[in-house]
Amino acid sequence: MKGVVFNILEDMVTEKGGLMMWQKVIDKAGVEGGYTAVSTYSDDELFSIVGAVVAELDLPAETVISAFGTYMFGQLASRYPVFVDSCDDLFSFLESIDSVIHLEVKKLLTETNLPSISCERVGDDQLVMDYRSPRRLCVLAEGLIYGAAEHYQRPIMIEHPVCMHKGSDHCDIRVQLTHE
Amino acid sequence: MSDEAELYRKAFEREREARKAAEQVVEHHTRELYLKNQKLEESLKQLKDQQRVLVQNEKLAMLGTLAAGIAHEINNPMAFVHANLESLTDYLESYQKLVELQREALTLAPDQQEVAGAKIAKHVADADLEFFEEELPELLEDTRDGLERVREIVGNLRSFARTHTQERQAADIVAGLQSTLKLLNSQFRTEVIVQQELQPLPMVQCNLSELNQVFLNLLVNAGHAVEGRKGATIGVATAVAGGQVMIKISDNGLGMSEEVKEQVFVPFFTTKPVGKGTGMGMSIAYGIIVDHGGEIEVESTEGEGTTFTIKLPIES
Ligand code: HEM
Ligand SMILES: Nc1ncnc2c1ncn2[C@@H]1O[C@H](COP(=O)(O)OP(=O)(O)OP(=O)(O)O)[C@@H](O)[C@H]1O
Ligand SMILES: [Mg+2]
Repeated sequence: MKGVVFNILEDMVTEKGGLMMWQKVIDKAGVEGGYTAVSTYSDDELFSIVGAVVAELDLPAETVISAFGTYMFGQLASRYPVFVDSCDDLFSFLESIDSVIHLEVKKLLTETNLPSISCERVGDDQLVMDYRSPRRLCVLAEGLIYGAAEHYQRPIMIEHPVCMHKGSDHCDIRVQLTHE
Repeated sequence: MSDEAELYRKAFEREREARKAAEQVVEHHTRELYLKNQKLEESLKQLKDQQRVLVQNEKLAMLGTLAAGIAHEINNPMAFVHANLESLTDYLESYQKLVELQREALTLAPDQQEVAGAKIAKHVADADLEFFEEELPELLEDTRDGLERVREIVGNLRSFARTHTQERQAADIVAGLQSTLKLLNSQFRTEVIVQQELQPLPMVQCNLSELNQVFLNLLVNAGHAVEGRKGATIGVATAVAGGQVMIKISDNGLGMSEEVKEQVFVPFFTTKPVGKGTGMGMSIAYGIIVDHGGEIEVESTEGEGTTFTIKLPIES
């Protein structure tokens, strides 16, 4: 995983619990804890830090990872504003992840490990995202989608009927626009 | 928070921002590299396409060279086979006349036989049939030889005809060299001595028609290099050494300067006048040899001559 993801995790933890908490987390995870955005680090290192955060906060892993996704979106959007600026609405933004955003990310950062995502619209209000990745970070994806929805100020509901963690070869993430 | 700690916090923030900026610079350059790389890959692909066209053109040029050689080689024997057949036709007519005269004589009365005999003897003398009887075996022998040569040339051509099959087959490289030399016979006018030291080689997994193309290129170049020089000699030698076969093609022609030697294998490099050489011959030869897992080297001294050495693995 790229250092930028570690940096954003560090930002989130220090924002919520101060420098002290971050130090505790990296000590517990047994890692050095210094990351440059453009370098690549092992996925296991990220997972052990997330594990330490989960233990520290005493919350379910899913909750933490999803929250991290939402936070990560905000950070990515401010680091790379062009991607959100070039899309007017939530669905066309989500549709551009695979073919535009992650493709551009590959040019900016070499040796990336990105998921493959394909989207299909079902009616006006639903988008089904087919997610595939050996890292099986579909919960992170959910969080990122919530983050994007917040950015575009569109309330959504997510269903996750097909999941790699339940033995499928991919995940179906159904994003439903809700109108209140 | 103490003032000191506050100062550290500010310094930390500054450093963090500076690092982010540095990372952005890296990303910017990475993106540029990525795009440049993409462009280079495109250019490379274009060049490869162009090269494919050129290789095709070179093959056609080779065909031209071959065709000229073959026409010459076949024309010679065909010319005397043709002449011999003319003579044979003439003689056949005389024999038919003779048979006719004899048949006539048989129907005559005894007192007329003598006149008829004289008539036959006159015909035999006039048509020079005695001389022809002596000549006949040689005439037939020559005709047979001529046709045999044509058949050989056609056989040699076959070894070039397999250019379209990509497969490698166990093949006799010496036979390939010999057929290439035969096809070039007419190109090397009498002034060129071809010295062959061809030791038998084990069968080599190769595309023989491609290798023949290499030999042809090297021999044609050697021929050009010795053109008009006294004691012009081209050497062709084969040997086995350490799991490899070695083919040497040498000449005592004009040789190459260091500068030319460095570029012999460069596509389009030629010292020949426009329209004479495309400069593709050696680069294609190089490609073919490397493709076979082999090596091709050049030694040359200006004014003295040149030797090309090809090494090919026996098991590829
Ligand atoms: C501004 C928009 C975005 C940017 C700049 C961005 C960039 C990135 C980067 C840099 C990584 C890390 C790649 C690596 O470590 O090699 C990543 C991973 C990931 N991205 Fe995005 N991303 C964006 C939006 C999204 C959105 C909206 C989703 C929602 C589906 C998403 C899904 C993911 C997932 C799930 C991963 C984790 C890797 C995996 O699953 O294999 N991204 N992205
Ligand atoms: N045996 C040789 N003696 C001297 N110079 C040679 C010899 N073989 C090649 N060269 C030099 O290398 C150059 C390149 O040879 P190459 O066969 O690639 O092209 P070419 O003979 O000029 O043209 P073509 O494509 O028609 O063969 C020649 O122009 C010549 O200068
Ligand atoms: Mg040549």
